[in-house]
Amino acid sequence: MALTLTCPICGERNGYEFRYGGEDKGPRPRAEDPAPGHWCEYVHMSPCVAGIRKEWWYHKDGCGVWFTTERDTTTSLEVKQPEKTR
Amino acid sequence: MNRLDGLPTCRIDSSRKIEFSWQNRRFTGVAGDTVATALYAGGVRIFSRSLKYHRPRGLYSLDGESSNTCVGIDGIPNVSAENTVLKEGMQVRAQNVMGTPRLDLMGFLDKLDWAMPAGFYYRTMHRPAAVWPIALKQVRKMAGLGKISPDFQMPGRFDEIYPTADVCVIGGGPAGLSAALAAAGTGLRVIVMESRPWLGGFFDFRVCEYRPGLPLYERAAELAAQVEKAANIQVFKNTAMVGAYSNNLITAFQKGEADDPFDERYIEVRAKSVVVATGCMERPLLFENNERPGVMQAACAHRLAHTYGLVAGQKAVFSIGHDLGIEAAIDLFDLGLEVSCVADIRKEGQDRELVEKLAERGIDFLPGWTAVDCSGKTVKSARLCNLDTYVQEQFECDLLVASAGMTPVTGPLCLAQAKMAYDAHTGYFLPRQLPARVHACGRLLGLNDAAAIEVSGQVAGYSATLDCGVSVEEGLRQAREKLDSLAGPAKGCDLVMAPVKGRKAFICFDEDTTVKNIKQTLAMGFDATELIKRFSAAGTGPAQGAIPGHNLALFVARYHGRSSAITQPTTVRDPLVPVHIATYAGAYHDMCKRTPMHDAQKTAGGIMQRIGVWKRARYFSSDTACTAEIENVRNNVGMLDATTLGKFRIWGPDAVKALQRVYISDMSKIREGRIKYSAMCNEDGCIIDDGVVVKRGENDYYFTTSTARAGQTVEWFRYHSRYDNWDFNMVNLTDAYGVINLAGPNARKVLEKLTEADITNSAFAYGGFCEFKIKNTIPVRAMRLGFVGELSFELHVPSSYMQSLWAMLEEAGRPFNIQPFGLEAQNVLRMEKGHLIIGSESEQRTTLNDVGLSFLWDRSKSKAGTVGAVALMHTEKQEGRLKLVGFKMDNAQRAPRDGSIVVDQNVCGHVCIARYSTTLKEVIGMALVKDHLAGEGAQLDIYEDECNGQLMHAHVVKMPFYDVKGERLSM
Amino acid sequence: MFGTYKPLWGKKPRFKSSYDAVIIGGGLHGLATAYFLARDFGMTDVAVIEKRFIGFGGAGRNTAIVRANQRTQENVPFYRKALDLWPVLTRELDFNLMFYNCGNLNLVHSEAAINAARMNIATAQFCGVESHLIDARQCKEMMPALNISEDITYPIFGAMYHPPGGIVRHDAVVWALAKGAAARGVHIHQQTAATGIGVENGKIISVDTEHGKINTPRVLLSAGGYTAALAYRLLRIQLPISVLTIQAMVTQPLKPLLNHVISSGAYHVYANQTLKGEIATGAHMDPWPNYTTQTTAHYIKHQAEALAELLPCLRGVKFMRHWAGLADMTPDMAPIMDGNDHVDGFYLDCGWGYFGFKSCTAVGKYMARFMASEKCPPILKPFNLRRFEQHRLMGETAAVVNYSANN
Repeated sequence: MALTLTCPICGERNGYEFRYGGEDKGPRPRAEDPAPGHWCEYVHMSPCVAGIRKEWWYHKDGCGVWFTTERDTTTSLEVKQPEKTR
Repeated sequence: MNRLDGLPTCRIDSSRKIEFSWQNRRFTGVAGDTVATALYAGGVRIFSRSLKYHRPRGLYSLDGESSNTCVGIDGIPNVSAENTVLKEGMQVRAQNVMGTPRLDLMGFLDKLDWAMPAGFYYRTMHRPAAVWPIALKQVRKMAGLGKISPDFQMPGRFDEIYPTADVCVIGGGPAGLSAALAAAGTGLRVIVMESRPWLGGFFDFRVCEYRPGLPLYERAAELAAQVEKAANIQVFKNTAMVGAYSNNLITAFQKGEADDPFDERYIEVRAKSVVVATGCMERPLLFENNERPGVMQAACAHRLAHTYGLVAGQKAVFSIGHDLGIEAAIDLFDLGLEVSCVADIRKEGQDRELVEKLAERGIDFLPGWTAVDCSGKTVKSARLCNLDTYVQEQFECDLLVASAGMTPVTGPLCLAQAKMAYDAHTGYFLPRQLPARVHACGRLLGLNDAAAIEVSGQVAGYSATLDCGVSVEEGLRQAREKLDSLAGPAKGCDLVMAPVKGRKAFICFDEDTTVKNIKQTLAMGFDATELIKRFSAAGTGPAQGAIPGHNLALFVARYHGRSSAITQPTTVRDPLVPVHIATYAGAYHDMCKRTPMHDAQKTAGGIMQRIGVWKRARYFSSDTACTAEIENVRNNVGMLDATTLGKFRIWGPDAVKALQRVYISDMSKIREGRIKYSAMCNEDGCIIDDGVVVKRGENDYYFTTSTARAGQTVEWFRYHSRYDNWDFNMVNLTDAYGVINLAGPNARKVLEKLTEADITNSAFAYGGFCEFKIKNTIPVRAMRLGFVGELSFELHVPSSYMQSLWAMLEEAGRPFNIQPFGLEAQNVLRMEKGHLIIGSESEQRTTLNDVGLSFLWDRSKSKAGTVGAVALMHTEKQEGRLKLVGFKMDNAQRAPRDGSIVVDQNVCGHVCIARYSTTLKEVIGMALVKDHLAGEGAQLDIYEDECNGQLMHAHVVKMPFYDVKGERLSM
Repeated sequence: MFGTYKPLWGKKPRFKSSYDAVIIGGGLHGLATAYFLARDFGMTDVAVIEKRFIGFGGAGRNTAIVRANQRTQENVPFYRKALDLWPVLTRELDFNLMFYNCGNLNLVHSEAAINAARMNIATAQFCGVESHLIDARQCKEMMPALNISEDITYPIFGAMYHPPGGIVRHDAVVWALAKGAAARGVHIHQQTAATGIGVENGKIISVDTEHGKINTPRVLLSAGGYTAALAYRLLRIQLPISVLTIQAMVTQPLKPLLNHVISSGAYHVYANQTLKGEIATGAHMDPWPNYTTQTTAHYIKHQAEALAELLPCLRGVKFMRHWAGLADMTPDMAPIMDGNDHVDGFYLDCGWGYFGFKSCTAVGKYMARFMASEKCPPILKPFNLRRFEQHRLMGETAAVVNYSANN
């Protein structure tokens, strides 16, 4: 496996330059709604999808940006986004 | 042995002799020899003894397909003699031999094979239980092939390179070279990897015609010359491809030649497209004693003569299943080998011209016959058998060339995740579905025709070119058309095993796995090939699946009476060729950081230790209790290099929001000139960091983190605000600024000598922050902190000034006898003050509340969405949590060792730190204990490792231990 | 001596439409639980269903190290129980599991690590498990190949020496448990994937498989790295698990060189010599979830770099096989064993990370007790799933900070 990821600023780079930051679960729940189960789901739980999912990645050995991208957990390869029409 | 010197295909120079030793006896080889060919030329027939039965093993192949010729060279075990170029002075030794290779004391084991069926070790030696530990010792002794000394030092130079290429071609034979030329012709950058020391592959040693007047070996030279000439093709010879990973990451290792600046090097290539052209090797013929020294693959005998000038024997029997075997017999006959007969498993389908050539030479040709057995420690005779009538005939010979057919070298494709499927026509497992940007060509697709092999290379080369975005559709179309007009794959021989019982028919040489063993394995219910491999060990030896891979899958299918199509060979694993750990390791990789004061501290007697990514001074004398260092800080003045602290600037309109998100306190209330101490938690409320924040301007803050968190802090801020689109900037200043903590009652006196600034207690009080210059030059950010419990100035200055400042402080402090102090002294000083270090006084599961820092937590800022705040609410009233307490030992002679546990009937916590305090003249410490023991006055029973149940006792006390009122901080 | 060659775990069993219990996953945990259900509770009407073949997953991919020197008192006795069972099972199952009781050396490379090791050792000794702190020179005496010089990246300060540990032949355990379970009447259905779980009124009623429906009142989901994905797919239960690929490799076989298992947290490496003579080594994982079981160039190189410093003589030895398996990691590096919580009759055994092998015998014993009695044995209680929503992590690991640790 040799993951590469496409940093929105630096382009396609070796996967080891990045830190994985978890599945994209949307914004954090409001602190006013502190039901333990609900909060735990946000913090720890995962459906552990075998397939494509949206994730957060941090370009740690690079520009330091957090970005989301899609990756297939069964191949551990980034799912290439179709290029934007210019 | 005399060499056939005049052959144009030869790769040796017999005028240049090379001396080496074998079993401590002197031998002579010639330039161009491998260790194996030199030994063979010297008359060595038995190279090693086999793993289990100690059977004699000899030269069978020339590309390291089995462990038969694995030898020890200069102390290095398991060196494949076939793949190792002979060098002057090599000391070569046989492996797994007790006695000599010819007379091995353990040779009797071959007669005990009945006692060692498949998986026998699972079914023996455990009854009665007392037997096992004794048997185990014997098992260990018997197992293993090579020997290595525990103090062995690997000589040689190891290198690593990471080239990129448009197209990476694996295999420097005719197909690979054609592919490289096709791609390079369009201007792409191409890498070619070839495991042998020369290009040409399958054409290189053959003398038959490519076209009238042009023999194959000359055609190989033509192609090689074109490739070597091309400026945009980089050729790596002596380079074995060993790994293929997704996104076309290819790894290989290269052996250096005499003028290379390395002995071995690791190569990692990321290519846009990959072409695999690794050709074929031979599929062993399964018959009784099929691995006796003297039994040899057809190409082995053929190349021994044509490449190394060695005729492998006096009198030979050929038992083969493909035309290359007949070609070899003819060529070798012409070079003087007596050929008794050529038995061909195939009843028909041979190249008529070749058969005629046999007849011309008076060589008996026996279609529909196969070898079934051979005798002798090295081959003395071979028994052949007619596959229809089972009539048998015996032939005297000292060489039995045996080969059932070919097998494509698909390892690289399998590693690249190609889907393979059985092809009934060739009898091969061929790629049915290739991964994107990976192409295959040449013999590994079943092609035999020389022109077709080259054109298939062009097709692959053009396809790879297309992957790189270069338009070569027309060239590709033409090459495809041409390929279609040429001869396709020939029908392969499908015989798996001669008609024998298979008691000594070895399907895996390395592991001594016989056909009989496989039958036993199948009878015991192991049906998946992967399970058969695990139970019988076939394919798990030094050369992995090279010998058994193809045959095992075919045999299993045949045994179950089902089509080979549904049986898959076992999974191919990297590395495809065993690689030295030294080669993978390459250059030295430690990346450790030093502060600007590293050398100054060493000069001052600092004992430097690696702590995290940094080297830091732990002690400044051999007294690990650091009494002098501690006393000097308490009574005088000391300085500590605190450069490793994380240091950051955060600024911008939303900087406060970001601070509010990650810090547990209310960060909106920081006043300029004042220091805010706070902490960060994770979403479980567990404390992960503490540090100070100062305000340097509107929406402009400078803050510190613990050393361990320096690397992740920017990331942490940005992560926890990733959905918010806040406008703030951050810079990690950890390496840009150095920090000296000047601490002790005389600290001000020292600092006053270096600055004009007013640093009196009234102008610059405890908890204050101010910026001034030292000697009117060095800009310093100074903080009045008190981690060690004394009057302290934490001086942050640009790293480039650090060494000067250190020297100035030493100079200015000399009248007061200023001394540096190290981490252990700081550790005791801060403990006396009741200050904690995260990671020392906290665990992964310790919350902010657990360590008694709940006063930092501002509950009124729920809108800020502070990380960890919800969890702190969930856990604040929870029972049974571990709490941080201070304790004093009852009548202790010494401190309990750090890491001792606190017990009642159960483990109730542990001692984080405990020391004899020279300041307080008693043993104090900090512990994380269950809440029922956390109250002041509670008794702690401390269980030390190796205490044999002798508990130590302590009582929980209030912290801090030292200077309860904090007077010394605010002097 | 060996008689005739009969299928170890009997002929292919008949696929019945109902069983007293169904175990999803024909790995070590599933087979062990089936075996103990039959052995200790006479519950023999049990089906183990396995999508591929028994021992396909982590059971055949781990490096076979066993030990009981964990960090907390919840874990140490559990792993100790597991250790004690190897000789027992060897005898009972009449199959040599080849327990090589060579002891483990966990190297420590700093004073802080010594203190951490001391806590493990004190906890072990308090729980009656042998473990000792030894210094670098003693390490060298026990393992002459070790590099104890001070000018390496992480100089060796000492080690936690744990004599009761060692290695066990992992595949043998799979086969022996299958043999023992089948002999007691358990049905092992290979090539049988679970496709659904039937729940009615909060109770398990059935399991759907590719070969048909099985009616059953209890199900154990113990499918190793695939458990979390299955729990979600079959029951919509999310777990605090991230599934990572863990890699291991072996060198070519050598005559005896290493007489103990060694491991080093700082170098991210462990190594032991198998009875065949290969040096088996591994430890590191790519820190992003995936199900590929693919190896990486990055890792085999890293491993070589570490070994080249730690055991320099190995520079002259060759790696010959490199593979990968799945490790299902929880935020606190401790497993989840639970039952009858979300759904009655649903039992869960997962989150073992890379401790699945060394624990399998004890898991079988206690999960069987749990399933047969429907009451959670006290030894399993700390491993419940609810601990994560209560922020009560187990403390098996000293300090790891993650984002949302898992997913």
